[in-house]
Amino acid sequence: MTGNGPQMERIILDVDSAGDDILAVLFAAVSPNVKLEGVTTCTGAAGPIEQVTNVVLNTLALAGRTDIPVAKGAWRPIVGNSKADMEAPVHFEKRLTARFGERLKKFNPPAPKPSHAPIDKHAVDFIIDTVMASPGEITLVATGPMTNLAMAFLQEERLKDNVKRMCLLGGNFVTPGNITPLSEYNIWADAEAARVVLNQGVETILVPLDVCEDNRAAASMLTRDDLADLEVTADNHPVLAMIRETFPIYIDIWREFFDLVGFPMDDIITVALAFDPTLCTMTEPLFCDIVLDGRLARGQTVAYRGRQLLPGGGPKTTRICTDIDGRRFMKLFKETIALYKAA
Amino acid sequence: MTTLANSETRPTPIILDCDPGHDDAIALVMAHRSKAIDLLGVTVTCGNAELDKCVSNALRILEFIGAGDVPVAAGCYRPLARPLVLGTADGPSGLEGSPYLPMATKTVEPMHAVDFIAKTLREQDEPLRIVATGPLCNMGLFVLKYPELLSKIKDITWMGGVFYRKSEIITPTEFNAFCDPEALKIVLDSGVKLTMVGLDVTMQVLVEEPQYAEFRKIDTELGRVVNDWLLFYEKLHRNSMGVGGALHDPLALALIIDPTLVRTRPAHIGVDLAGTYAFGATVADFWKERGLPDNAEICTEVDADRFFELLYSLLRD
Repeated sequence: MTGNGPQMERIILDVDSAGDDILAVLFAAVSPNVKLEGVTTCTGAAGPIEQVTNVVLNTLALAGRTDIPVAKGAWRPIVGNSKADMEAPVHFEKRLTARFGERLKKFNPPAPKPSHAPIDKHAVDFIIDTVMASPGEITLVATGPMTNLAMAFLQEERLKDNVKRMCLLGGNFVTPGNITPLSEYNIWADAEAARVVLNQGVETILVPLDVCEDNRAAASMLTRDDLADLEVTADNHPVLAMIRETFPIYIDIWREFFDLVGFPMDDIITVALAFDPTLCTMTEPLFCDIVLDGRLARGQTVAYRGRQLLPGGGPKTTRICTDIDGRRFMKLFKETIALYKAA
Repeated sequence: MTTLANSETRPTPIILDCDPGHDDAIALVMAHRSKAIDLLGVTVTCGNAELDKCVSNALRILEFIGAGDVPVAAGCYRPLARPLVLGTADGPSGLEGSPYLPMATKTVEPMHAVDFIAKTLREQDEPLRIVATGPLCNMGLFVLKYPELLSKIKDITWMGGVFYRKSEIITPTEFNAFCDPEALKIVLDSGVKLTMVGLDVTMQVLVEEPQYAEFRKIDTELGRVVNDWLLFYEKLHRNSMGVGGALHDPLALALIIDPTLVRTRPAHIGVDLAGTYAFGATVADFWKERGLPDNAEICTEVDADRFFELLYSLLRD
């Protein structure tokens, strides 16, 4: 980049391959502000690790970026929740089928067999090796449960001193939770992992539901208007065709079932913050903890704000996003995706 | 002389995952000296002391007993989901009482314990037995990282847990379970065969005056070191419960050599991750009230005399 614009950031993107993860991979792979060192996969919203990994491989193939290494990661959370609760997203899909019928086949479909393979290295080792080979240069961006990151910090004690920064999608402070009234899915799905990660003392930007899955952030959400804009500005690259084909159902689901004006772009926002932190207003660096033992409150994010009588807390290294320049973000998203040009 | 595995059969290859620790140290000595065991490697976790101290202790012990060729891999520096709470029986270094042991010239493997276990399992034709005598941090992380290799573990014999037998010298929780209960849960849920050698049996292999008398008869350098370890190690037990040192980890190791030292029974085991007074407690569902399948064998009775005979013989030979 030239001038005072955003810098080129080297990132590792850790995903669980839900809809916005797919857009995040496509966004990171083509953004001139990102050097995507690799994509690591984690069991989460899209189901088992094989599905998650296959989706990433297929997405990168579509983007023409099979050169970007994909490393398969955690097959289960550290502790997790009851089996019935962990399968809630599947039950959710059944409810959706009743409403959307055949159209739902485009929502998180079983991934076809990819044309290329993940690298022969566990995601945890990929993260450790990549970071340790370039101390202070790599930003870890996680848009799913934080199991891989936690395992990496647990396995390599020196990792925390060598990561440049983390951008994490998770938690909620003002907006109600999306998996329980108090908790956000990524944190809840592996609450112990999130707590390990947020206690490392690494400079962190935390992207809660407040700035993506809340109509206060409406301008950042993907709508049919945005799909129409992409139609006008972009050539007929397979990536654009896929987005036009796949994402109307996502927009409809989030509009009808979550009362949001469009499809929330959580994961893409999280990637964009890695190179342009000015997209969001943030708190001062503070300590953010996770509730582990509460039943109703399990997975709740707790920001240490204000002043309290009891001692406590931890490393004050997490800045929590409180507002977003949604218009500027969506413009950035569309301009970036438009860089996919038909060969 | 107790009956060891007869000499025609191949020694049982094992990996010993430990946090030395005086009683781990004695287990290491036994594993090296028993002809029934082929010690393929030692992996180390935090627990009785910080990781670096436990690693240093493992290296020193192995070199001292002439097992410098046994590879040692350092593992987890903290439990998977909680801050490390150190054990209190073994003193600040984890091996107080033998300051004259030389520092090791031997070094650790250039890989994490879980990767060492994975490499060793891949090199073996047959599924491998693992003995774990510390918190299960390494085994928990292994299950998280290498689900595809779980079928290559024949079983895990773990010193840990307690099942509420009526006794004034048994607390509701056992340290190895308490230190990393999440790792224990991961192992319990993994489907790997687990034998739990808990306080119910290990608090019955106590070193009291008759046992000290036998140890003193072993008038070798090794015998004297073991005796010095035991004299330090018993302080916690002696001061708090009025009994001698319990040889927790050596009993777990001994079961590889002679499984008939204990009786076991199967049960579904749960671990309390949230309790106030019983945090880290292992709970056996003997009545099958939860309707869940058995996930461990737990030791219920032990022949302490035969255990000590085995230990003496291994130190003597």
